[in-house]
Amino acid sequence: MDGQNIITKPDQARLMTAFETLLLFNENYQLTNNGLAESVTQDSPTQYTIKLRKGIEFQNGKTLTADDVIYSFQRIGTKAYGLTGYAATATMDIAAMKKLDQYTVQLPLKTPDSTVPQTLGSYTFNVVPVGYKAYPAAQVGTGAYKLKSFTPGQQSVHERNPNYWRSGQPYFDTVTIIDYSDSTAQVNALLGGQIDAMTDLPASQVKVVQARGMGALVSKTGGWLPICMAIDIPPFDDVRVRQAMRLIVDRKGMLEQVSSGYGFIGNDLYAPFDPGYDKSLPQREQDIAQAKSLLKAAGKANLAVDLHTTDGAAGMVDTATVFANQAQAAGVKINVINDPNFYGNQYLKLAFSVDFWGTRAYLNQVQQGSLPTSPYNETHWPPKTGTGSNFESLYNQALAETDAAKRTQIMHEMQQAEYNVGGYIIPFFGGLIDGYAANVKGLKPSKGTLNLDSFGHGFRTVWFS
Amino acid sequence: MSQVSSDWVADAEIAPPLPVVHGTSLLRRSLRLWRTRIGLALLGLIVLLAIVGPYVAPYGPSTPVGAPNSDPSGKAVLGTDYLGQDVLSRVLYGGRSILVMAVLATALGLVVGIAIGLVAAYSRNALDDTLMRGMDVIMALPSILLALVAVAIVGPHAWVIVAAIALTTVPRIARVTRGTALPIVERDFIAASEAMGVPRWRILSGELLPNCLGPLMVEASLRLTYSIALIAGLAFLGLSPNPNGANWGTMIQQNEIVLAVQPWGAAAPIIVIALLTLGTGLIGDGIARTAAGIDRARGEE
Amino acid sequence: MWGFILRRLLLGIVVLILVSILVFLATQALPGDPARAILGRSATPASLAALRRQLHLDQPVFTQYWTWITGLLHGNLGRSLAAQEPVSTLLAPKLVNSAVLVALAAVLSIPLSIAIGAWAAFRREKAFDQASSNLLLAAAALPEFVVGLVLVILFATTVLHVLPAVSTVPPGSRPWNDWLALVLPTLTLVIAVAPYVARIMRASMIEVLESDYVEMARLKGLPERTVLIRHALPNALGPVFQVIALNLAYLAGGIILVEVVFNYTGIGSATAEAVVNHDLPVIQALAILLAAVYVVLNLLADLATILVTPKLRTQL
Repeated sequence: MDGQNIITKPDQARLMTAFETLLLFNENYQLTNNGLAESVTQDSPTQYTIKLRKGIEFQNGKTLTADDVIYSFQRIGTKAYGLTGYAATATMDIAAMKKLDQYTVQLPLKTPDSTVPQTLGSYTFNVVPVGYKAYPAAQVGTGAYKLKSFTPGQQSVHERNPNYWRSGQPYFDTVTIIDYSDSTAQVNALLGGQIDAMTDLPASQVKVVQARGMGALVSKTGGWLPICMAIDIPPFDDVRVRQAMRLIVDRKGMLEQVSSGYGFIGNDLYAPFDPGYDKSLPQREQDIAQAKSLLKAAGKANLAVDLHTTDGAAGMVDTATVFANQAQAAGVKINVINDPNFYGNQYLKLAFSVDFWGTRAYLNQVQQGSLPTSPYNETHWPPKTGTGSNFESLYNQALAETDAAKRTQIMHEMQQAEYNVGGYIIPFFGGLIDGYAANVKGLKPSKGTLNLDSFGHGFRTVWFS
Repeated sequence: MSQVSSDWVADAEIAPPLPVVHGTSLLRRSLRLWRTRIGLALLGLIVLLAIVGPYVAPYGPSTPVGAPNSDPSGKAVLGTDYLGQDVLSRVLYGGRSILVMAVLATALGLVVGIAIGLVAAYSRNALDDTLMRGMDVIMALPSILLALVAVAIVGPHAWVIVAAIALTTVPRIARVTRGTALPIVERDFIAASEAMGVPRWRILSGELLPNCLGPLMVEASLRLTYSIALIAGLAFLGLSPNPNGANWGTMIQQNEIVLAVQPWGAAAPIIVIALLTLGTGLIGDGIARTAAGIDRARGEE
Repeated sequence: MWGFILRRLLLGIVVLILVSILVFLATQALPGDPARAILGRSATPASLAALRRQLHLDQPVFTQYWTWITGLLHGNLGRSLAAQEPVSTLLAPKLVNSAVLVALAAVLSIPLSIAIGAWAAFRREKAFDQASSNLLLAAAALPEFVVGLVLVILFATTVLHVLPAVSTVPPGSRPWNDWLALVLPTLTLVIAVAPYVARIMRASMIEVLESDYVEMARLKGLPERTVLIRHALPNALGPVFQVIALNLAYLAGGIILVEVVFNYTGIGSATAEAVVNHDLPVIQALAILLAAVYVVLNLLADLATILVTPKLRTQL
C-alpha cells in the first residue's frame, strides 16, 4: 500500500481511504476546491500558489503544513521510486518549490503547463506527511480512515478516523477491502450479502442484481478498452495494416456484445469529455471491403496474428474475443491469448494487445500513454517520421498555451494525427458499472476514473440506510 | 468381493470376475435389456447432435444474434449467451471437440492397456510385477490431477489432453485385462498352444483377448464416460484447445455467472453432457448385468 | 500379519517416492523449458535467467530434486509465483477449508451408502433395490461438476432461491461461519461418491447373505434382524472399508471441480487457479499433497480391511 502509487484497483480503493489530494474532481469530472487546498491560483504561466486549509491533521495528530506538501511532491518527483504520478512532474520545478508560510506553497514550473490543476486533483497526487514511506511503514494520511490491518493481495481493514477534518464524516466505522481475482465470486458475494459493494459489475449481471433489490451504479465514464497496435512492430509498423484493422471493427456490435449496450461508440480517440475533443473528425464505420484492399496493398492479405489480453478489467477478454470473430470477415485470423502474466515482463512490449484505461482529460492522457516518456505507452506512439512525428512538440506547445481556443486547435491537430495513423482501436466507451447492496446510499454516477464514484469519495459520501 | 486383493483396488468399479462369454454375443444379448437400449439411444442421439449439429445450426457459433443474455425468442430458441451468440447454435457446434478427444483417448488407452495387461498376465514373472507397479504409480494420482499437471506444463493442446487421459485409462484397463486373462493363462489349452509352437502374439490376441472382452467392454464404457466427464471438466476450467470456440464445457464456464438471468446458456450444455454420460453409463451397466447373468429371456428385468 | 503390514507400508513409501519423482520430473525437468513456459514465448534472456535461478533450474536435475524433496519434508513448499508468498502460508487455510468439506461429505455419504447398499441387498430385486440401483447409476455416471451445477440451478438460481450459489470462504473466516453455503457443495460430493460405495456394499452384502455362516445363523432360528445386524453386516464391512478409503481418496480429486463450481476457497480451486496461472511451485506442492493423501488412504484401507476380516487375520 502506497499513498502515491497504484498498480491494481484494490490499490486505488485502499489509497482513497487514507489519503487525499489538494483539489477534488466532482461527479462531472470538474475540478473543485473541496480538497486539502483552500485555493490553487495561477500567478503566471510558470507559477502556481497553493494555499492549504488550516487545521487539518494527519491521522497521527500532526498538522498538515506546507512542508508536507513539498515532501509529497519531492517524493513523487523522485525518478528512482517509479511512482505512478512521476511523469506528471516533468514540467514542475520541484527543487525550487518554496514555503511561503506555514500553509502556503509556491510551485514554479520549468515550462508552462495548463494541466497542473488536473494533476493536483488526480488520485496519484495524494499528500503525505514528511518522512512518509510505503507499507509496511505506518500509513498516515489525512483521509477518513486509518489502516488497521493489511494482508497484501488479500484484504485490508480500515477504521474510522475520529479526528477527520470534515466534521460529520465518515459514516462507516470500518471499511474492509477485499481483493477478488474472479468476478463470479465477487458478484455472488454481493448477492449473498457477504460484501456491500463491488467494482466492475459485468454488464450481464445488472439485471440479476436489480432483480434482488440491489443497485447497479452505471457511470457513463470515459473509460476505454483499447485494442493496441504497436506502431513499430510488424505487421503494425505498416500504417495500412493499422488503418485496415480500425475499419474491421463493428463498433455498435462490439458495444452491444461486450457491454450489453451500456456506453457509447468510439472513434479511435480518447478523452471524449474533454472540451478539446475533436468532434469534427468523421465517425469511423466498419468497412470490410476497404480493410481487405488495404491489407492486400500492404501484402498482408490473410494476416494471422496473436492478440494478448488478460482479465484485468471487465470486458478486456470479451473485446478481444469479439474482435477476433469480427476479423474473420476480412480474412484476418486473430488468435486470442488470455495470459495471466499479461502485466509481467512482456507488458508494453507486445505487438497487439487489449488494455484498459480510465477517464482523463486529453492532455493528461497523452502524458500517461502517448509520449515516449509515458509510463503506459502500449502503442509506442508517436512515430519518429512522417505524420505525427511532431506530436511531442505539439504537446509541449499545448501545455504552455494559456489561450484556451489556441490550445484546442493544437489538441485538434494532435488528435488528427492519432486519428489517421495512430495505433489505438477504440471501439466504444463502456462506462463503469458497479454493484452495491440495497442499504448503501449516497453513490452517484460519476464521469471520473475511479469506480464506485471514486469509492464514495474515499468512503466519505456513502452511508447505510 | 470378500477377497482382499493383493493389489490395490484403486477403482471400485472393477466388476467381479465374470464368466467367460464371447464378446459379440454378449453385446447382442445385452441389447435385450431396456437399459442398454435406452443408453444406446441416448448416446446415439447426442453423437448425432454433435456430428450433424454444425450443418443444421441456424447461426454460426460466434455470430451475434441479439443482446447478450436475452431470453428465448423466435430468433434464438434458447436465447443468447454472454456475448449475444445463439445458445442453440453453440450447443450444436460444441460437441465435436469433446467427443472426438474422448473417443480417441479411450481408444488409445484401450489399446495400450490391453497390450500391457495381456503381456503382464502371460509372463507371470518379474515383468508382470514391474508392469503392475508402474500401473500403481500412475493410479496413485487422481486422473484429473494428472491431466491438470500435464496441461499446466505443456499447454491445453488437443494432443496433450488426449495423451493425459489415455494415460489415466491405461492402468485400469491393464488391471481388468490382466485380472481376466490370468485364470485363462493357467488353463491347459494355453499350454497346449505353446507346446504346438503357436507364436506368442497369436496366443495373446487369438485366445486370451477374446475371452477378456466381456469385462473389457464394461470397463471401456466406464472409461469413456469418465473421459467425457474429464474433458468437459477441463473445458469448464478454461483448459480446452480452442477456448473461444463453441465447446460444451467452456459454455458452462462462460455462462455460469448468468444462471439467474438466462439459465439456458449453461443449462443446455449441462443437459447435453448429462444425457451423454447417462447413455454411456447405461450401456456399460447393461453389458455388466448381461454378463453377470441378470439377463432375463423376456428382455426386461 | 505384521510382515504383511510392513510390506504394504514399504510399498506405500516406494510408490510415494516414485510419484514425487514423477511430479518433479513432469514439472521441472521436461524438455521444454519451464521458465520459458511460465514467461511466455517472448521471454527476455535476463528474465529467463532470473526465473531459472529462482526455480533452481540452473542446477543438475538430481540436486534440484533433492532440494525440493528435503524442503518438502521440512515444510518448505516453495514460493508461489503468482502471490509471491510461501506456498505453505497460502495453502494452510485452504487446506482446512477443504478438510472440513471432505469430512462433512464423508460423514454423510458413508452411513448413507452403507444403509442403502445393505437395504437394497436385503430386499434384493424388489422395488427399493430396483429404484435405488437406477438412481445410483445415474448419479455415478454424471460428472460431478454437472451434478453441482444442476443443484445450483435447482436450489440457488433458477427453480428455487433458498441456497447460495457460491460458497466462497472470505479470508480470515472459517467454513462453519456460513453453514448454508456448505450445503450444496457437500451434497454434490455426497452424490458424486456415495453411489460407488452403495453398489459395492450391496454386492458384498449379497455375497454375505448367501454365505454359509449366515445360513447357519438362520438355521439356528435367529430372527432375521439379528442375522442381518450381528452376523451379516460385520462381515460385509471388510471390503467396504477399502472402498470408503478409496472414495475419500477419490474425493481428493473430485473436490477440484466441485470447489471451482462453488468458488469454494479450498485446495481444489487453488489447484485449478495454479494451473491457469502457471504457478509451478503451487502445482507441485498440491500434486504431491494429493498423491500422499491417496497413498495413505489406500494403505489405511488395506490395513483396516485386514483387521476387520477375521478370516484374513489368521490367514496372514
